[in-house]
Amino acid sequence: MPLETPARIVRELARRGYNAEREAVTLLAGAADPATALDAAVESAPDDALRLTTDHVRSALSSADAASGTGGDDAAAAPPSADAIDPERPDAAADNTAVSTPPEKPKNSATESSSPVETKGSSELDTGSESGTATRQPQQPDVAGDITGRSTGTGEYGDFVSVFRDRYEKLSEQLRGRVNHRPASAIDDMPGGSDVAMIGLVNDVRSSANGHWIVELEDTTGTFPCLITKDRDIADLVDELLLDECVAVEGTLSDDAGIVFVDALHFPDVPRTHRPNTADRHVQAALVSDVHVGSQEFMADAWERFADWLHTDEAAAVEYLLLAGDMVEGVGVYPDQDEELDIVDIYDQYERFSEHLKAVPGDMEIVMIPGNHDAVRLAEPQPAFDEELRDIMSAHDARIVGNPSTVTVEGVSVLMYHGVSLDEVIAELPEGKASYDDPHRAMYHLLKKRHVAPKYGGHMRLAPEERDYLVIEDVPDIFHTGHVHKLGYGKYHNVLAVNSGCWQAQTAFQKSVNIDPDAGFAPIVDLDTLNLTVRKFA
Amino acid sequence: MRPADERYFERIEDRLDEAFDHAKRAKSRGADPKPEVEIPVARDMADRVENILGIDGVAERVRELDGRMSREEAALALVTDFVEGTVGDYESDAGKIEGAVRTAVALLTEGVVAAPIEGIDRVELLENDDGSRFVNVYYAGPIRSAGGTAQALSVLVADYARSLLGIEEFRPRDDEIERYAEEIGLYDAETGLQYTPKDKETKFIAEHMPIMLDGEATGDEEVSGFRDLERVDTNAARGGMCLVLAEGIALKAPKIQRYTRDLEEVSWPWLQDLIDGTIGADDGADDADGDEDDADGDGDDDASEAEAGPPRVEPSAKYLRDLIAGRPVFGHPSESGGFRLRYGRARNHGFATAGVHPATMHLVDDFLATGTQIKTERPGKAAGVVPVDTIEGPTVRLANGEVRRIDDPAEALEVRNGVEAILDLGEYLVNYGEFVENNHPLAPASYTVEWWEREFEATAADVQALRDDPRVDLADPTAAEAIEWATEFDCPLHPVYTYMWHDVSVDAVETLAAAVADGEPRVAESDGGYGAIRPRDDEGDADVLVIERTERLRRTLETLLVEHVASEEGIRIPDWRPLARSLGIPSERERAWTAADLSAAAREYDGGDNAIRAVNEVAPFTIRERAPTRIGNRMGRPEKSERRDLSPAVHTLYPIGESGGSQRDVGAAATARTDAGRGVVDVEVGRRACPDCGTDTHRTLCPDCRTHTEPVYECGSCGQFVDPDESGRVHCERCERDVTSVERRRLNVGERYREALETVGEREAAFDILKGVKGLTSANKTPEPMEKGVLRAKHDVSAFKDGTVRYDMTDLPVTAVRPEELDVTADDFRELGYETDIEGDPLRFDDQLVELKVQDIVLSDGAAQHLIRTADFVDDLLTEFYDLPAFYEVEQRKDLVGELVFGMAPHTSAAVVGRVVGFTSAAVGYAHPYFHAAKRRNCDGDEDCVMLLMDGLINFSREYLPNQRGGRMDAPLVMSSRIDPTEIDDEAHNMDVVRQYPREFYEATREMADPEDVDVEIAEASLGTDGEYHGFDHTHDTSDIALGPDLSAYKTLGSMMEKMDAQLNLARKLRAVDETDVAERVIEYHFLPDLIGNLRAFSRQETRCLDCGESYRRMPLSGDCRECGGRVNLTVHEGSVNKYMDTATEVAEEFGCRPYTKQRLEVLQKSLESVFQNDRNKPSRLDDFM
Repeated sequence: MPLETPARIVRELARRGYNAEREAVTLLAGAADPATALDAAVESAPDDALRLTTDHVRSALSSADAASGTGGDDAAAAPPSADAIDPERPDAAADNTAVSTPPEKPKNSATESSSPVETKGSSELDTGSESGTATRQPQQPDVAGDITGRSTGTGEYGDFVSVFRDRYEKLSEQLRGRVNHRPASAIDDMPGGSDVAMIGLVNDVRSSANGHWIVELEDTTGTFPCLITKDRDIADLVDELLLDECVAVEGTLSDDAGIVFVDALHFPDVPRTHRPNTADRHVQAALVSDVHVGSQEFMADAWERFADWLHTDEAAAVEYLLLAGDMVEGVGVYPDQDEELDIVDIYDQYERFSEHLKAVPGDMEIVMIPGNHDAVRLAEPQPAFDEELRDIMSAHDARIVGNPSTVTVEGVSVLMYHGVSLDEVIAELPEGKASYDDPHRAMYHLLKKRHVAPKYGGHMRLAPEERDYLVIEDVPDIFHTGHVHKLGYGKYHNVLAVNSGCWQAQTAFQKSVNIDPDAGFAPIVDLDTLNLTVRKFA
Repeated sequence: MRPADERYFERIEDRLDEAFDHAKRAKSRGADPKPEVEIPVARDMADRVENILGIDGVAERVRELDGRMSREEAALALVTDFVEGTVGDYESDAGKIEGAVRTAVALLTEGVVAAPIEGIDRVELLENDDGSRFVNVYYAGPIRSAGGTAQALSVLVADYARSLLGIEEFRPRDDEIERYAEEIGLYDAETGLQYTPKDKETKFIAEHMPIMLDGEATGDEEVSGFRDLERVDTNAARGGMCLVLAEGIALKAPKIQRYTRDLEEVSWPWLQDLIDGTIGADDGADDADGDEDDADGDGDDDASEAEAGPPRVEPSAKYLRDLIAGRPVFGHPSESGGFRLRYGRARNHGFATAGVHPATMHLVDDFLATGTQIKTERPGKAAGVVPVDTIEGPTVRLANGEVRRIDDPAEALEVRNGVEAILDLGEYLVNYGEFVENNHPLAPASYTVEWWEREFEATAADVQALRDDPRVDLADPTAAEAIEWATEFDCPLHPVYTYMWHDVSVDAVETLAAAVADGEPRVAESDGGYGAIRPRDDEGDADVLVIERTERLRRTLETLLVEHVASEEGIRIPDWRPLARSLGIPSERERAWTAADLSAAAREYDGGDNAIRAVNEVAPFTIRERAPTRIGNRMGRPEKSERRDLSPAVHTLYPIGESGGSQRDVGAAATARTDAGRGVVDVEVGRRACPDCGTDTHRTLCPDCRTHTEPVYECGSCGQFVDPDESGRVHCERCERDVTSVERRRLNVGERYREALETVGEREAAFDILKGVKGLTSANKTPEPMEKGVLRAKHDVSAFKDGTVRYDMTDLPVTAVRPEELDVTADDFRELGYETDIEGDPLRFDDQLVELKVQDIVLSDGAAQHLIRTADFVDDLLTEFYDLPAFYEVEQRKDLVGELVFGMAPHTSAAVVGRVVGFTSAAVGYAHPYFHAAKRRNCDGDEDCVMLLMDGLINFSREYLPNQRGGRMDAPLVMSSRIDPTEIDDEAHNMDVVRQYPREFYEATREMADPEDVDVEIAEASLGTDGEYHGFDHTHDTSDIALGPDLSAYKTLGSMMEKMDAQLNLARKLRAVDETDVAERVIEYHFLPDLIGNLRAFSRQETRCLDCGESYRRMPLSGDCRECGGRVNLTVHEGSVNKYMDTATEVAEEFGCRPYTKQRLEVLQKSLESVFQNDRNKPSRLDDFM
């Protein structure tokens, strides 16, 4: 197998059980015959080494040179594919991706970025050997709000009550400063015509015979109906309401004291004044999701190009890879799924995923959460992969956490959530407010509601826990989801919302329901500015 | 009609009139919602159509047209009448189209099913994007009962009316077209369709359909792609529309085309593309056709090339879909060892049934009983099992090494415990008509005695002389006779000695031939102690052959179904000479051939796996394929014979609100303290007024002057009093709304309860409990007189929603019976008007076979018992409540013989009058196939009910029927007093009525001919002639119509686990079943969906208050019930979620299921643990302490 590209070298090393320093890989890639050089380097590395260092490679290369001087080279291994690494012909390489993918490849495929890539394929060897500037030095991510290992619910009624109470407490806290909340039981005793305000979970939304809206709010003392007349501006907001989200209303009690006429409706929301944190150096994170390894539609080539690109200088600042779920296609996700699987065995799917992950530079920090195709419970919050699956994916020493989790890197907090509730938001809200074409706008609503999956009892599956892990307690700097296989991003009150696309081409099912996925994109965020660049690898 | 038939119907109608008079007198007391009998008698189909639709003048016009043209043509002719306004009284175009469409559907369903009134909600005119008008037909779920043809024709009729009225065609928008495709897919996934058009087909139809098909949402699942369309008012699947498009238009395109061709105004040229299958077809036509064409092309040398293999039908595994735990598979598709197709019709057979030997029923561990439904590979999809003991039984291997065919149910029971393997399930009787009905090419026939006799008759042999010879049994000859006939007369070897050569390889036969040649004949007497199999011929060459015992030989003999005993010293084969001759061994100790002697064609026939050609080359006579067609099947529904009770059971349709508790106990409500007082409830009932004294009441009889009261309709909006119009609709013109008489009232249940007890002279101790209802669901909420409930409770019967008492039974056909098997005598039969047996001899003995008359039915024991109770209830009601003489006075079961009942099928609205002639221990309702067809049922596991005539006449009222979609289904809106064979479901006309099938028929099966091309008389031939009510002959008798187990093991086994264990145990025993596949399917189709579904349900469940029953979509934040402060709890618990987890895992392990299946279970197991276990407090296992 020709070993021209860093990614392939990394894979080959991984196959043999080694991680490698970035420089070491660059050195190997630049060698006259990378395959022989790799053999030699592995040979010369001490038996207990897990990580191939520059030193190992250097010593191997020098001895190899010496060896070739004596003419003891095998003829077969000697001539590398000159075509493939010819620095003079970068364009030819683009048409020839199947044969090899030289480092400058992304120049030809990146669409949304201008990315003027230097055509310095082999000169990398020089920069690499000159100094250590290209070495990534990511920080350990900090993880919060992760259910993993803390799932104490046992499926009792009380657990369900706890979740919703916790939700109410946390979110009403957000609203308490804005209105003068009266409990439902207290409102019951107030005389008609009083000014009232109430914070509650939406229990029911229905329209009255003459087209007004009746929103029933519930707090820990009971429920109270609130009327939003159709001609008010806020009537528009009723369309946005999801059952079981927490809102506050202000208004006047009717004459018979039976209903509140609503004047103002408040969501917990993200303050407009929110100022996100940023990194204090130029460093980037790749936000991807929905890899779906094991599916017949998994785009291995695109992923490979992505991994290759990460090995280029251009990607040197990309130190973090955040994966928002659906690593594999899974088993039994839908009926007769086995007929559409490329890899039928679930463990083999993770093995293969792990192989693909190994192509990513070893010095990047990786964080991953599970999705609805992964082999963990479907009910949210989803704990991280169990020991057995972690062992399979141990190559990169990735941080494997639950869904959702808030991951802080370089001071920037990223709320990672797979995104199953987006389906519900898109189904419930009018098309103008949320659609599959603009998934980030659906995400705005979740931020506004400060909850990643408010509606109970629909498509969302809830695992009852002591706390509601799905509440967005602290405003994140970045909100990252996937699941709907559509690319979308934008800022909501300065929070960057990114729904990454996927790495799975259109499936038969998607075709039947008219979904055209955005496959093979990698949104790259500058953590120092929160600017986003989308790169295409498909 | 013969005079005898006329007398028969007159007899029935006389009794009916008698009952009617009695009922009229009862009704005239005014105690019921209407003072007259509410089930009109329909003389014919035209009457029924008019009665069901309520459109005057239809009946007359239908009668006019009926003689001149087919029903479909009549439906189209009526369109003109509606459009011109000569029939029906409609002003709007939409109304005219609606009337025409409904009438068409009613006509095509013979005015029996509820589809025309319940399945079509409305027709409306909407606007195309260019402003022109188009027709929208709005279908509802019950259109299902109309069947594909009527559904499709309803669209055609609408289009015809559209073109006559000059309305534009519907021009669908692109998103609407896509929506149709997505919706059909969704509906198929959710509910299932008989035929699911490919997306391309659906879109093609949607694009070209000149009218819009729309309808009500019938499911909860919503489409995800094409939502919120302007002209489609739901995002859920519209079931009625899906049925019409898929099972109507797409499936019945050829039928519609027949009619569009004749109509100038209507042109649907696109149908041709549908019929050609060019839309969305990518996998080409079936291969069989292609092969044949090739063979024809080759021309002369068809012997060698075209016949590389035997004629076979393609195996089909469809019936294995959705396998359920506890319902066993009896054979995998076309698998050797499965049921062998035998052609013929037994007297209790035909009309979607399958004849199975009673010994088989016992040996499959009693899973099959009379009436059990099986899902079958062919010719239809499902069939009801009937016992036939004149076909061959199963062959089994016993633990003592004996391989034996069992033809006696008693013997089956005797050996059942010792059965190691069921090598063959025996024969499976299917009648010719079944193939006609399903339009299934004939499948190659088993070689059976019938066929052999036809062939023998064609030789020089004097078959009649042999038949008359008492020493000769043509059906079961001795070995010597069989060899003699085969060699002397050049007739194929008798089937008794013909083995399954087509199931074994040429190699195996060669080995066997060698072993037989080396075998040693021994005198049979020395065979003592080796089991019951004996040579048939005790006098002649009564010896057995002992051959070497090897596994391979045993397997070969077992596959061939050669009876033998594998003992220590060797394999002993009685009656071995025909076997030896077949193997080409002319006499003892002689080896005649090796594989090299065979022709290449024989050696390589079917790849060498089929030795039929080989044996034909070596044997001195012709050997036919014994069982070329095997039919796989599995259990569907169990048979049914049960009283129909609502849940909870209802004795009286009297509202008591919440007062009676969850049991709706009227006694409790009578004494309960409510806000309104003791025994007083606040409920909605219809307001009525006494025409004489003006008293305002809810009761049907004025409490003051005992006059019948009339409902009062006050418009809730304007307060104006409204009178019903001619069609019975009550509509306030001023407010443009429908008006009912319903109002909230305070009823003193206690007082009414005591009054009712007193009226009928009963004490509370006469019954355990009297159950009422919480509230009434009918339009005017008219309560029933409580007296009826008291008497129902006393006699332990309960009321259906329409006030009648019902008993459900699985339908089975029978065309000839013996009085003896029905627990009646020849005398009883003569009293019923039966005079001769099927041969025309006078009826004298109880065991004579008599042809059953078309409206006569046989009750199951349970039904008889229930009807006796109902008769007692009716008599009590007549004497105590209506002050009339009793009508039935039944003292013993026999008194029911000759009484009339209503037969009534679900989804229909017309009852058929039947007459009880006897009883059976089988848990089914046996009746003439025409009786079932008149109710529009066939016998493939369908079930329906019987009601006692007088109960229906006096207790049924339309006023009780629920005011909701489908409310008028399953209610006797009209009754047919006599069956007109031309007006029944034409499926019954396809039943064959002959005593034997011709030789050409059997030969045609080997050509896999179209059944229509074969000459066997079917019932259709006698339609409209004098003979239309009789002459239903059969080819096979059965000694009793209730052989085999009375109940399927599925019903007698306790838990689901027990049933599944039995199912898997049986799968292991059956040679034709792959037990791993069964286990896999049970997990895949039953356990996994259950686990996944329950886990999903758990994580989005509702909760309910344990104290007051209030349910909450989400858990209240307070934790307690907001209504009563009581304890709220989950509705789905851990226990119901993971109940199958361990079993599924064990089964997957034990039966070696695929890793994919096992991993799905693993992932689920982890999910369950994750949801239901505390990470910090994991339950410790016993090992932790060891």
